[in-house]
Amino acid sequence: MTDLLYVILAVISILLAVQGGYTLYLMIYTWDQPDVHERTKAPDRFVEPSLSFTVMLPARHEEEVIQTTIGRVVGANYPAELLQVLVICSADDTGTISKAEEKVEELRLQHRQGVDVVVFDDRPINKPHALNVALRHAAKDVVTVFDAEDDVHPEIFNIVNTVMAEDPVSVVQSGVQLMNYRDRWYSPLNVLEYFFWFKSTLHFFARYGAIPLGGNTVFFRRNVLQMIGGWDEYNLTEDADIGIRLSSAGVAARVVYDDRYVTREETPPTLGQFVKQRTRWSQGFLQTLLKGDWKHMPSRAQRLLAAYTLTFPIVQAALGLYAVAALIMMFEVKAPVLVALISYLPVFLLASHFMTAAVGLREFAEAHGLKASWGVTLGMALAWFPYQLLLAFAALRAVARLAFGINNWEKTRHVGAHRERRKAGEHAA
Amino acid sequence: MPRKGGLNDSWHKALLAVSMVSGLVTHAYHLFLYPLYTTDEGIYMQQAWSILREAKLSPYTYFYDHAPAGWLMIATYVAVLPMQFQTFGNAINAGRVLMLVAHVCNVFFLFQIAYRLSHSHLAAFVACFFFNFSPLAVFYQREVLLDNLMVFWVLLSVYLLTRDERRIVTAMLSGLSYGLAMITKENAIFFAPVLLSLLYRQVQASRNRRFALSYWSFAAWGPVSIYTLYASLKNELVPSRFNFSLSSPPADHVALLYTVWWQLNRNQGGIFDPHSLFWRFSLGAWLPKDHLILVVGSAAMLIALLIGLRNREKHANLLVASSLAASYSLYLIRGSVMLEFYVIPLLPFLALNIGLMLDHLLGATPAALRVVSTVLLVAVLSVPAGGGYVYTHNDKGQVAPQDLYNVPQTPMQEEEIAYVRQHIPTSARIIMDDDVWVELHDQSPPYRYAHSHWKAAGDPAVRDRLFQKDWQNIDYIVMSNKMRAAMEQNNGDGNEGWMLDAIDNHSTRIWTLKRGDVELDVYKIEHGGS
Repeated sequence: MTDLLYVILAVISILLAVQGGYTLYLMIYTWDQPDVHERTKAPDRFVEPSLSFTVMLPARHEEEVIQTTIGRVVGANYPAELLQVLVICSADDTGTISKAEEKVEELRLQHRQGVDVVVFDDRPINKPHALNVALRHAAKDVVTVFDAEDDVHPEIFNIVNTVMAEDPVSVVQSGVQLMNYRDRWYSPLNVLEYFFWFKSTLHFFARYGAIPLGGNTVFFRRNVLQMIGGWDEYNLTEDADIGIRLSSAGVAARVVYDDRYVTREETPPTLGQFVKQRTRWSQGFLQTLLKGDWKHMPSRAQRLLAAYTLTFPIVQAALGLYAVAALIMMFEVKAPVLVALISYLPVFLLASHFMTAAVGLREFAEAHGLKASWGVTLGMALAWFPYQLLLAFAALRAVARLAFGINNWEKTRHVGAHRERRKAGEHAA
Repeated sequence: MPRKGGLNDSWHKALLAVSMVSGLVTHAYHLFLYPLYTTDEGIYMQQAWSILREAKLSPYTYFYDHAPAGWLMIATYVAVLPMQFQTFGNAINAGRVLMLVAHVCNVFFLFQIAYRLSHSHLAAFVACFFFNFSPLAVFYQREVLLDNLMVFWVLLSVYLLTRDERRIVTAMLSGLSYGLAMITKENAIFFAPVLLSLLYRQVQASRNRRFALSYWSFAAWGPVSIYTLYASLKNELVPSRFNFSLSSPPADHVALLYTVWWQLNRNQGGIFDPHSLFWRFSLGAWLPKDHLILVVGSAAMLIALLIGLRNREKHANLLVASSLAASYSLYLIRGSVMLEFYVIPLLPFLALNIGLMLDHLLGATPAALRVVSTVLLVAVLSVPAGGGYVYTHNDKGQVAPQDLYNVPQTPMQEEEIAYVRQHIPTSARIIMDDDVWVELHDQSPPYRYAHSHWKAAGDPAVRDRLFQKDWQNIDYIVMSNKMRAAMEQNNGDGNEGWMLDAIDNHSTRIWTLKRGDVELDVYKIEHGGS
């Protein structure tokens, strides 16, 4: 019996090490492949604007930030007649509607047309439904989504216009980056997850044609969206789901990442919000997995990649349980030396993971003109294990919610912390 | 690298193939016959045997004298051989075939490294010629030694570092390779500064430099961390009560850090001491075998170092090559305890410097002249009047092939084993040298009580429990004149005395074989009436 336990421990350790190695590779993929950076960075010169864009801004209880966001979108460096902006709210959210209409009116007084508030009063009240409602009003060539708290780069439409003119792709995912890396103990690790996901991992997915898209700064040709019937209103990660469905339909997606042009966001303001966001993501991935659209992908490699990505919440939950079990075993089990050495492999990979994050922090700081102090790195080291446990907890919570059929949308609150910092920086400058 | 499919590419492949095949021939021919099987070869095969047969790092108490990656590699290789240790006649022959494979790989790495550093086929070919044909190199590179495997990992690491592509995975594999070199033979640590500076030079302008540097370092640390973890799990990382006293070593258990401390404090005189091991081996063992690679190689290294230091940008590659040789030379001359074969890791880098300097000196001479110079050099070095690398003058003044390709030495040891098997019972308590250890333990029926004199002198489990340090508990001593010298040298603390007493005062020589300066004997210890 004891021998069997050791064999199981060794096998789990090897599997975890393989999984850890794979995750690590996804994190550094873009740095490892010298041509990826060149192929995926934003164009240095823009072509004449020709494509028109419908910008969707789904907003719920976003009174604090919606006006600024609308202002940033309409202030983009792109011809006004080629932009349509739709702010989408549910009828019960009178606060956001009022603020949005106030801003629209202000713009009208400045003779700026093409900005409207779309209100819906049917169910479900969630982001994918809001997007589907807005899709019926979309009139331009390309449809894009931004979240209400996003800081949109003024050149983003020029970039996508140039990319789509030079490469006949139907979907372009551009970068999103959390910025407030010093606000909470979990902020730097959260910021780095985004950094590695958009700067590296998504490129790997795009290369193999199985890409769970992001929730914003994503651009679709309108006809492609209409062809696949818009977003799944009952999926908690409608963005990943639509990416998988598009990949299954053979629609090529291109990822464009350039530190200069990322859409800036903020980390969730509280731990509770963070856990809710993570739970939603994990649950959404599992929903997409169970839906099975990924099974229709053309190649086995794509199916495997999609299945692995969508199963990741379960892996993460298992990792959390394993971490707790490993801690207990460290003190309670006197394993043979060989088994102990094998079980060291995931620990080594975990250390490599941290080292990668520490280097990533410096890359992130350099890319955005910030300073990454050793204090932040030390804080990351201290936060590392609790953060992994937190992710595992959220994943377990997602599994439990799925098992009990709880599918409601737990919305993340936004306070505009990334804007406060930018303002402060600009003010200081 | 030359453009694929072009004339230069074909020329590159042809010269690489010639280098590898010539390395194969010089090292394979007479591989099982020359040189004599040595104690160290026997020790590493015995430890590989222990891994496969006993799931232990050594049949005796493993005291961290060397990290175990070398014999783990040997054991892995032996495990897949059809007849394992007996596939090539005996265990050491099996090990020598692995050294042959390692050498051919090393030639590939050296050729590519030399070419990448110089963009010259002449440099690559000449470097490989010295590496393949130098009698000093062939002599030690045939032997089953950790240094040969360490060179494999170091060259692989440099080969990966000098690749044109700047991938992180390549840097990581280079680091991992270097980490494996360090746990194959610890003196690989002396290459660390040069490898790190080479890595830095390669990636400093790349956007992935931070990742490349950290992944290289982390991957290099990986194998070392596993080794230290092993010691820690066995409760053998630090000595009990943190006793690092060299005069009264801790007696209750071995400890990795104590052994490291002990090794660091061993000193037998450096380059300024005329009686040091450096001079003894240089003058007594290395120069007589081949003075050319040592003298010309050292001169090339020094000149390359000067040129490289004067213009680091223009001659960065000469600086890299000379630093690789210089860093290990420093280790050899600094005065630590060393063995005869410790010169091995220096040889590929001396050869590299010779190749690069020759190319530098020939400069922009016409291609035809460069080819003629290379052919002439090879021809002159091969004959007695030149280097005597292939043909030389024998003891009688006649032209004959080098001993490496001509003198059969190991059959003497095979005769010795045959005699033991035929005339000595398997229950006998035997003191012997390590070179016959696996032959007596792996073949059926095994000689369970046959032990190395090193362990009978130093390992309490053998010395105190089995032999109780008493000559009367020995039945036979199987030895060579080299073993006798080693016993006397190792008798500083008197631990070999009871065995020497057995030979000198209580034994009868029952078998002897003498050829040249090698003498093998079997003694029967007479217990009755003494």
